[in-house]
Amino acid sequence: MRSWMIVAAALVIACVLPLSLDPQGYWIRVLTFTFLFAAMAQAWNIVGGLANQTSLGHAAFFGIGAYTSTVLFMKFGISPWIGMIAAAGLGGLAAFAIAIPTMRLQGHYFALATLAFGEVLRVIANVWTSVTGGSSGISVPFTPPSFANYSFKLLLPHAYIALAALVIVTVIFEAIRRGAMGYRLRAIKENPAAAEVIGIDTTRVKLQAAIISGMLMAMLGTLYAQVAVFFDPDTVFSAASISIRVALIAILGGIGTAVGPILGAFFIIPLEELMNDWFSASVAGLSQLIFGLILIVVILWRPRGFVTLFKSLSAKIPGVSP
Amino acid sequence: MTILDVRGISKRFGGLQALSDVTFSVPAGQIVGLIGPNGAGKTTFFSTLVGLIRPDRGTVTLAGQSLVGLKPHRIAAYGMTKTFQNVALFGDSTVLDNVLTAGLLRHDVRVAREEARRCLDRVGLLAVANKQADTLSFPERARVELARALCTGPKVLLLDEVMAALNPVEMREIMDLIRSLRDDGITLLVVEHHMRAIMTICDRILVLNFGKLLADGTPREIASDPEVVEAYLGRSMEKHA
Repeated sequence: MRSWMIVAAALVIACVLPLSLDPQGYWIRVLTFTFLFAAMAQAWNIVGGLANQTSLGHAAFFGIGAYTSTVLFMKFGISPWIGMIAAAGLGGLAAFAIAIPTMRLQGHYFALATLAFGEVLRVIANVWTSVTGGSSGISVPFTPPSFANYSFKLLLPHAYIALAALVIVTVIFEAIRRGAMGYRLRAIKENPAAAEVIGIDTTRVKLQAAIISGMLMAMLGTLYAQVAVFFDPDTVFSAASISIRVALIAILGGIGTAVGPILGAFFIIPLEELMNDWFSASVAGLSQLIFGLILIVVILWRPRGFVTLFKSLSAKIPGVSP
Repeated sequence: MTILDVRGISKRFGGLQALSDVTFSVPAGQIVGLIGPNGAGKTTFFSTLVGLIRPDRGTVTLAGQSLVGLKPHRIAAYGMTKTFQNVALFGDSTVLDNVLTAGLLRHDVRVAREEARRCLDRVGLLAVANKQADTLSFPERARVELARALCTGPKVLLLDEVMAALNPVEMREIMDLIRSLRDDGITLLVVEHHMRAIMTICDRILVLNFGKLLADGTPREIASDPEVVEAYLGRSMEKHA
């Protein structure tokens, strides 16, 4: 068995899986969000994984994407597909604006500065009521189901669009990882001074990576808006449920690899749902407590992510390359 | 033809005058040794040349191109780079990927990989190309540094103690390599503590003391310069040379 066969098998399963679920049910929604969060973690992985700049502010781009397409649709009747392109533009612009002051920072300082930027946008979205509707939230206008309007009666098409997004973002990530940019980002991660001295424009490469990551994240925000239909600033600009969760998914799965965010998302998103399902009826907060405990155990067991599990498995089975 | 021209480079760190008014020029194709006691400013000087440290005053000109105020990656693109004394490899990456990354300055990934193999072959480390850089011994890692710097396609190469901790056989190999690089048209500035090696391979030696250029001459002139012997080499000179 070769790695491309594993990829092909995973794709086939991913394509068949939505068909096996109730097309209006609860689990297809969970699956759609799992695809979506895997794609988001993959977009985060470009900066967080390859350059090891742990951003805790990616909700900024996500929220910008969700609001851009929805506001354009609501106020001007522009199709969310076109809105998604506008979202990419604004997301890239925001990523550029945030990267300029933060890219000299490293480690915890970078994480805290990006976290602050995300929070600033959340506050702005809450008070800028004329555009965002403020804390009372915003609804994607209802239109008759059509692909052109990115509007469907069932969740099934949303699941496939989220899957397509995951595939596209993963292909982009893998192309960057294998290409010149990936080598340059890893060099910057390991030794910025040495990277400069051997001819890498570290400022430029970091900016490029941040902009690509921000653009993708914003486009995924549009996808989210179309699935969720209703959202508010505290949801799409959330530090905990967007920024930190996306980072957590990538870290738990294994940063800097294409498989990591996918493994992480397929672990975290369904687990969270299961915990809520099983324990929410009992003591308040018990589900989060157990979820947290499981995360701690997993991080202690696999500090470099689930990917390492893959690698040690493939080392034992001859012929399987990771 | 002058390849490297250094005029009046000065650098102060707080109360310490690390470099003061360093001036010299190097014709293309020379091996120039840079010696001096610990703390004389040798590594600071190399860092200044490649743009990691900005001098307070002075100019550096490489093949007619002024390097004043340029970032290290621009200076590398113009053709000058250095190795790091304390070895600054990308430890998580393989040896080949370390060198390949430097090749990306002038080539795409495919060609850079070929270039990297060629550079690794030159330093005799092709056999460990796929090992993780962190797992190598210190002298091996120093040679990977050399291969990586070489892979940027430099006109002027600054080597900061690449011979540290080498055994005599390895040292002779590196000395041969440095000569062969010179024969390829690369100009080399070499910081080294091993006197015999410096005296053997260098066409010319600069002596730095307390950030000042104390002497500039052929190995023979330096060895017999009473000021140099007094200030730096002292009695150990007789033992080593």
